[in-house]
This record gives sequence, structure tokens and C-alpha cells, in this order.
Amino acid sequence: MAISVKLDRVLLERGMSLTELSERVGVTIANLSILKTGKAKAIRFSTLEAICKELNCQPGDILFFDDEESAAKAAE
Amino acid sequence: MRAIGKGSLASILAVGLHFTRIILWIGFVGLSIAMAIVPFATLIAAAIDGVANVNLEGDISVTGEDYIGIAHHFVNFGVMLFVVTRLLEILKTLRFGSPFVKENADRFRGVGYALLIGEGDKITFGFMSLIFDADVEINTTIISWLAIIAVFVLGEVFREGARMKEEQDLTV
Repeated sequence: MAISVKLDRVLLERGMSLTELSERVGVTIANLSILKTGKAKAIRFSTLEAICKELNCQPGDILFFDDEESAAKAAE
Repeated sequence: MRAIGKGSLASILAVGLHFTRIILWIGFVGLSIAMAIVPFATLIAAAIDGVANVNLEGDISVTGEDYIGIAHHFVNFGVMLFVVTRLLEILKTLRFGSPFVKENADRFRGVGYALLIGEGDKITFGFMSLIFDADVEINTTIISWLAIIAVFVLGEVFREGARMKEEQDLTV
């Protein structure tokens, strides 16, 4: 997918573990792992809001659009 | 009525389909043997007739018409067996609580193709029976064709359902 998730980087910067984030935002570790590993197909606004609130960041700090990957997929 | 579990329509259907499958298997095996033996029936009868203490009364003659009839039923039983097996597999996924998977979409498509072969079989052998004077009628109906289209539509619905389920499972 052309959207990549940089949750692990933000977590590292905040010194927070995935387990701790899971407890704070009320999302299971399994689901956060799906998000972190880039396997997620969609993210709810409520989840994004909770993550941004706990990590004190903007959605753009977590989600990135990779134009090159998008172009590569379109070319396939 | 419950969707799954004991006393549900799915479980009743599964029992019925299991029973039907056993009957179809017996018929299919019998027809397979007949398909293999019938062309040589006259030779076999002649060979047996020559053995001591065996007396076959009357003439055993197998004609092309007989073989057309057997081949028609053989294809029919094969199609029915395939359809029943696929339906049982679909019901199995329902019992396990995950019917919306890509495999079921493929199974429905397979059932659709099998039913197409079944209708093709009726028409082909029907025309052959006209030529060779066999006892196979061309009895295809519009309802049958609509049912085939319905199965293909259902397959595509399941394909989209499987995609939506995957998306839902991977929504955080």
C-alpha cells in the first residue's frame, strides 16, 4: 500500500511501548501490531484520534504517502 | 430458525446433502463401471456363455443408443456429485463461522460452471439421441439458466463479501 505507517518511530521518540499504547488507547496489541507492520487496510478516525492524543502528535506524523510506491503499483 | 448449530437449516441441509452424496457416489461408481464395461458387454457375455454350467438366455447386444444414455447419466451424476460436494464445503465454512472467504466465491463459481456443463450435457446428448435414436430428451428450461446465472451472481456477491470481511478484519 502507498500509505505507510511510522508508528514504531513515534513510539521510539516518545519512549513508549506498544503494550502501553494499547492500554492507553483501548486497542488490542494485535490490532496495533497490524497497524505497526503496515498490514492494516483502514484506520478509524476514533483510533487515529486516540493514538494522536496519547502520543501527542499529528496524523501526519504517523501516516505517510509514498508516491513512488503508488506509481509503481499503477504501472503494474 | 437458527443460522448455525443443532436444529438449524444449515445442519439439516448438511445431513440431507451428506445422504445425497452417498447415493450419488454409489450411482457414479456404478455408472463408471458401466461406462467401462458396456462397450465390451457382448464379448464378456460370449466369454461367460462358453463356461460350463453358465447359460445366458437371450441375446445381449449393446448399441450406441445405450451407451449415449449411460454417458448422459454418467456426466449428470458427476455434475451432481461435484455440486453437492461444493455445497457441503460451503456449509462447513458456515459452521466454522467464516462463510465470507474467497474460496467460497470460487466454489460458487465452480458450481455455476458445473451446472453449465450439466445443461450442456442435456443439450449435447439430447441432440445425439435425435441422431442415434437414444432415449435422452432435450429438456432445458429458462428457469435452469436463470438458476445458473443466480449462482454466478451469488459467487460474485461472496467475492465482494470476502473482500469486505478482510477489510473489516484489517481495520484498526
